[in-house]
Amino acid sequence: MKIEKTVGSALEISGLSRSFGAVIALDQFTISIQPGELIALLGPSGCGKTTALRIVAGLEKADRGSVHINGEDLLSKPANNRDIGMVFQSYSLFPNMTVAENISYGLRVRRMKSDLIKKRVIDMLDLVELPHKINSYPHQLSGGQQQRVALARALAIEPRVLLLDEPLSALDAQVRSQIRDEIRRIQIESGTTTLFVTHDQEEAMAIADRVGVMQHGRLEQLDTPNNLYNKPATPFVASFVGITNSIPAVAESSTQVVILNQSIDIAEHSVAINAGDHVSALVRPEWVSLEKSAGVSLEKSAGESRVITKSFLGPMTRIGVDVGLKELVYAELSSKEARNYDTGDLVKVSIATDSVMVENV
Amino acid sequence: MASPMKGKLGKYSAISVTIFISLMLFFVPLFSAAEYSFRGSYGQGHDFTNYLWIIQQDGFLAHLLLSVELGALAGALNLILMVPTITMLHLTHQRFRPIVDLICILPLMIPVVSLAIGAEVSMPSFLQNSQYELVFFFVILALPFTYRVLDTSFGSIPLKTLVEASRSLGASWLSTILRIILPGAKGGITAALFLSFALAIGEFTITQLLHWDTFPVWTVNASQQNILGAIALSVFSFIFAVVLLGVIAFTSSSRSKKEIVVEEGA
Repeated sequence: MKIEKTVGSALEISGLSRSFGAVIALDQFTISIQPGELIALLGPSGCGKTTALRIVAGLEKADRGSVHINGEDLLSKPANNRDIGMVFQSYSLFPNMTVAENISYGLRVRRMKSDLIKKRVIDMLDLVELPHKINSYPHQLSGGQQQRVALARALAIEPRVLLLDEPLSALDAQVRSQIRDEIRRIQIESGTTTLFVTHDQEEAMAIADRVGVMQHGRLEQLDTPNNLYNKPATPFVASFVGITNSIPAVAESSTQVVILNQSIDIAEHSVAINAGDHVSALVRPEWVSLEKSAGVSLEKSAGESRVITKSFLGPMTRIGVDVGLKELVYAELSSKEARNYDTGDLVKVSIATDSVMVENV
Repeated sequence: MASPMKGKLGKYSAISVTIFISLMLFFVPLFSAAEYSFRGSYGQGHDFTNYLWIIQQDGFLAHLLLSVELGALAGALNLILMVPTITMLHLTHQRFRPIVDLICILPLMIPVVSLAIGAEVSMPSFLQNSQYELVFFFVILALPFTYRVLDTSFGSIPLKTLVEASRSLGASWLSTILRIILPGAKGGITAALFLSFALAIGEFTITQLLHWDTFPVWTVNASQQNILGAIALSVFSFIFAVVLLGVIAFTSSSRSKKEIVVEEGA
């Protein structure tokens, strides 16, 4: 490894707001990123994640708020004086320059000595494992190679913070997963503080130290992928992260709900409810248990449901069950266990969890 | 059953015929004029008499150089005006596009006489008394063409992300324009320069109306004495413009040797 690990910078974003006419893109967005950390901002389209990134890069203006790197105010500086590396969704390599010229661009505008530039270019190409493409033009590279060059170009200037704006969206599935792992490896090797924007939750969960889930310009929750999935802070996070069944339920008390004739505790951070309220319970497919009914019957008896769909997902299989609601309830079983169930089978459905998150209908 | 090979051949034949007709329409008048311009005295034989006659006329070189100078200035001014304008239109000021569209189409709608007289009286007196005032008229006349060419050229490159990438890598606006935008839109810029220069070097009406004496005005006056010489002048003007613009295109396409080159496997 030829690249020297840098001590990453701390990035503090506080109360950042931005509106486009009547549309509020960012609303008091606040996040604190530790040196060397990789944070993914995840959210649906229009949630403000890209706007936040562009404001940090200096490509968009903020209406209010502040951005600091290691305590230094960033918003007063133009984009070219921020020492921030950025990788774009569309690669954005300069088409009139070779790979070497693209990577050295940021160093040349900084008037670095040519021998140091050459050394840095070679180091960066080693890092992204493309030394043989040094004199190629962007149009001679595949999408994955172009994005690796774009990453090398952004890292060549030794940025204080690296911003990745949906860098994998334009790549096909196989290359995406490969480049994703490579980004993570390079980020760990370089120790650069990184902010990664994506709408793909699998991507965010796989790559980030912590994931920030955004909605309506606000940060809903910033946590480790594990906590985000298992301890969502809001009903939106619970429903947005991972596959979730939204099952109608009735509150038995302020702490318990009845779901599919089963009484289950309400998880913390759920909405406040009173006995008798009609709510939606957010139930993960892996919490749904199936038990095959004895015998074969065309008619459902009380408490029985019918298997409607069965989707093979590799090691897991997702089974859709008609429990008499408007939508199917999905259970996720190991594919080995799922062999026992076929479409049309009658099953009994139960929920195996200590608590569920509920939201108002 | 129609074979795919036959369909392909048919397609190529259609393209070939179209290209052939286009080339004929372009080159036949040109070759005819060229052939005519080489005819000797009284139309006998072929020699360089007419071209020698041009060179021997008083003021040939002075008027030619003046037109080249004015054309070069018009081309440069046009690019200085239009490149930043179109960059801004594509990056940050899209809402001004209808206004710029309208302004750039106006020179085609306003009669040349009105334009010449109207603009002349509104110019400061030091310009009214200088032949360099023509540069501004040439820029205005070329505007509808250069705007379209540059706009299309800028629209064909991902200008916004390239500029943002350049800025995020630490480049100033000037550096971004010189290193990224100009090379990226090189084809359009060369074409705009060509249009602007060609229009300026051949412009006659406004120059004549404002009583200035450039190469086209001199040509018209000189050609009244010798019809074959006039044709030789036309051919000469055409070849001169093509060669000059060829030099510009070649110069702009040759890459700077200062760019970093690292040996493969280094």
